[in-house]
Amino acid sequence: MSQHSPRRRSGGRKAKRAARQQVQTEITAFIERKIPYFDYLDEESLSLIEHNADKVLEEIGIEFRDDQEALGILKDAGADVDGERVRFPSGMCRAIIQASAPAEYTQHARNPERNVIIGGDRTVLVPAYGSPFVRDLDQGRRYATIKDFENFVKLAYLAPGLHHSGGTVCEPVDLPVNKRHFDMIYSHLRYSDKPFMGSVTHPDRAQDTVDMAKQVFGDDFVEQNTVCTSLINANSPMTFDATMLGAAKVYARHNQATIISPFILAGAMSPVTLAGTVTQILAEALAGMAFIQMVRPGAPVVFGTFASAVSMQNGAPTFGTAEPSIVLYAAATLARRLGVPFRSGGGLCAAKIPDAQAAYESANTLQTAAIAGVNFMLHTAGWLEGGLSMGYEKFILDIDQAAMIKILLEGMDMSENGQAMDALRAVGPGAHFLGCEHTQANFETAFYRSIVADNNSFEQWQADGSLDAAQRANLIWKTMLNEYEEPPLEPAKHEALLDFINRRKASFPDSNY
Amino acid sequence: MSDDMYDEEDIVLSELSDEELTQQMHDDLYDGLKEEIEEGTRILLDRDWPADKVLSDALVAGMTIVGIDFRDGILFVPEVLQAANAMKGGMAILRPLLAETGAKPVGTMVIGTVKGDIHDIGKNLVTMMMEGAGFEVTDIGINNSVEAYLEALEKYEPDILGMSALLTTTMSYMKVVIDALVERQLRHKYIVMVGGAPLNEEFGEAVGADAYCRDAADASETALRLVTEKREAASG
Ligand code: B1M
Repeated sequence: MSQHSPRRRSGGRKAKRAARQQVQTEITAFIERKIPYFDYLDEESLSLIEHNADKVLEEIGIEFRDDQEALGILKDAGADVDGERVRFPSGMCRAIIQASAPAEYTQHARNPERNVIIGGDRTVLVPAYGSPFVRDLDQGRRYATIKDFENFVKLAYLAPGLHHSGGTVCEPVDLPVNKRHFDMIYSHLRYSDKPFMGSVTHPDRAQDTVDMAKQVFGDDFVEQNTVCTSLINANSPMTFDATMLGAAKVYARHNQATIISPFILAGAMSPVTLAGTVTQILAEALAGMAFIQMVRPGAPVVFGTFASAVSMQNGAPTFGTAEPSIVLYAAATLARRLGVPFRSGGGLCAAKIPDAQAAYESANTLQTAAIAGVNFMLHTAGWLEGGLSMGYEKFILDIDQAAMIKILLEGMDMSENGQAMDALRAVGPGAHFLGCEHTQANFETAFYRSIVADNNSFEQWQADGSLDAAQRANLIWKTMLNEYEEPPLEPAKHEALLDFINRRKASFPDSNY
Repeated sequence: MSDDMYDEEDIVLSELSDEELTQQMHDDLYDGLKEEIEEGTRILLDRDWPADKVLSDALVAGMTIVGIDFRDGILFVPEVLQAANAMKGGMAILRPLLAETGAKPVGTMVIGTVKGDIHDIGKNLVTMMMEGAGFEVTDIGINNSVEAYLEALEKYEPDILGMSALLTTTMSYMKVVIDALVERQLRHKYIVMVGGAPLNEEFGEAVGADAYCRDAADASETALRLVTEKREAASG
């Protein structure tokens, strides 16, 4: 082994310690997939499901509840409206979607370097959403507060593997129900410069989200660009309710993106068979997305799928099992055939604490979602208890896994350097590769370095305090929060934002429902 | 649906002794056989069993076994639904007779999810278990306002008001309903039970409910206990 590469002084120990220990700051706005797609179903099965979904839309129909305006829009577009039941002639929804829904769109962040493209070969990883509880090793399980919310926004901002700030990262139960959306959106806008999700629990709250974004992005910019992506769940089976429709209309009218998500606990909210479930998902998503295109042609819309199965023994949602993975694979292919972005996935589990069950269930869904070609991966980090609890330690374990997804999807480096023929020639039989030139040139980034895993000897691990993964993660989130620095927000915009919030908050009384 | 394996001899219910028949009815409930339960109920009544004895010894006792095996993970939800359905078949026959004799049914409940909340899978399971335990449950569905609850309470005069919520944004509405009962001096008339995944014991206490129940099995056990306690307090 001969190495004559010129070595330059690099600053010695001090510089290297600083470089190797610092939190990664390089920005990867999103992942670009360079590997082929994996299609679980063959052409015949896919066409059959598409055919059956059309039959569902045509014969059974979808209910659009308590929203006369929506029914009017659907009727004008040519749907058959019978009370609240809306039936769509075969192929109608698909044609409407394909005529105007974008195959991909850019969601702008307040830091343009963090703009994400949603759709096509991109994957955007997003924190978990919606938990009323939080948990950590120090304080156990408790109702979430706005402090927890801020903490998770900060942690997501600092996590290099997450590309998005998410939405309701946990529910700030300490604030009045009808005003907490102000504080949530404010946290996203202030403590992070990644893109975020808007409020959907009332049309007024959706409007407030848009108006708050305008304080930071500017009025015209918001009307002409997409600055938030929000979650509109179908009330499966085959129903959309007024709350969700109301919020969806507000976002669509402002050209903001919506994710139309059949959120299925199979067995309770859809048939127990996989093909039946996928058929229902496709029918619901088609109806919801077509509705958005009727409200505003061209408004970005995402085909969402949240698949879980219920335990037939007690009705509780289960995660990380094979059946929802199959549903996810199938739905991803159907979204690609339709030509719209796809949302699913995440680090889903039913575990209560960050234990072995949490790890394997989450890893199963995360990997499946990545391979399946999810574009917007909600619930990537923090999810526990089927979404009832957001875990601080779980969040760290998940962002560690999330950071690896990029490597998985970027494929194999087939460049000359990647082929490593030099190294194979230089080292030859019987020697080792640790010191050769090729290794010297590549070692730092060659393999994923987990921030949590302990690969030391037993004795070293013992000397370090015999900590398990959750205990190590506990130290990490605390360090991250300690070292967190706010991404600067222009003072004038910050002022305007606060002013807007204060005025709106003062304009109606607090209410807790 | 019974397994062929166990269904070889044709059982003629009317030829069984009282004891054999109640045993058989326990099995038929377990297997969710509605028609057989209706037939068994009629036979026992023909043999001059009082309606409340048919209810307790044949039906409720049988459903208790179903409840235990559901809790232990042996019976699945669809099977318990069938069993509860069979039980309702028997109840339909007993109801007028119980009313005539003034005998109290196991208990009655009005249940619904609160305003703004459409999550109803949990509520449906609670209804199933309560019906299985012999309660008469009126399910007023989702998204109920104070007025809707009050109207149902007035109409059905149940022992229990059950409220379910799955959202932290809607669960506080339970307090609004309970406060409305207090205001109208109706609170003492009903046992109020609350449930749903984002609630907990302290929350139940804070809103002024009589009980928070973590799952459907807990709900039916708690309901039985509270109704019995209330009746004992009233009579003693
Ligand atoms: C009277 O006495 C009693 C006694 C016991 C009682 C009782 C009453 N009621 C219940 N119990 C108890 O016994 C039952 C049986 O053992 C148990 O009932 P459970 O209901 O707990 O258990 C069921 C058997 C199974 N569990 C469930 O059915 C709920 C599961 C989760 C995943 C869930 C589902 C399925 C749904 N959701 Co929703 N959903 C979630 C839930 C997360 C979770 N893991 O709980 C939760 C509750 N949802 C949430 C959200 C955010 C939302 N959901 C929404 C919609 C939906 C679906 C329609 C898609 C669907 C409901 C379908 C349906 N028909 O019910 C939206 C709101 C709709 C609305 N207006 O209500 C939407 C706002 C999402 C959106 N952006 O569109 C979150 C709550 C956030 C918060 N602020 O509290 C959530 C924790 C998930 C999450 N992480 O986002 C016990 O709690």
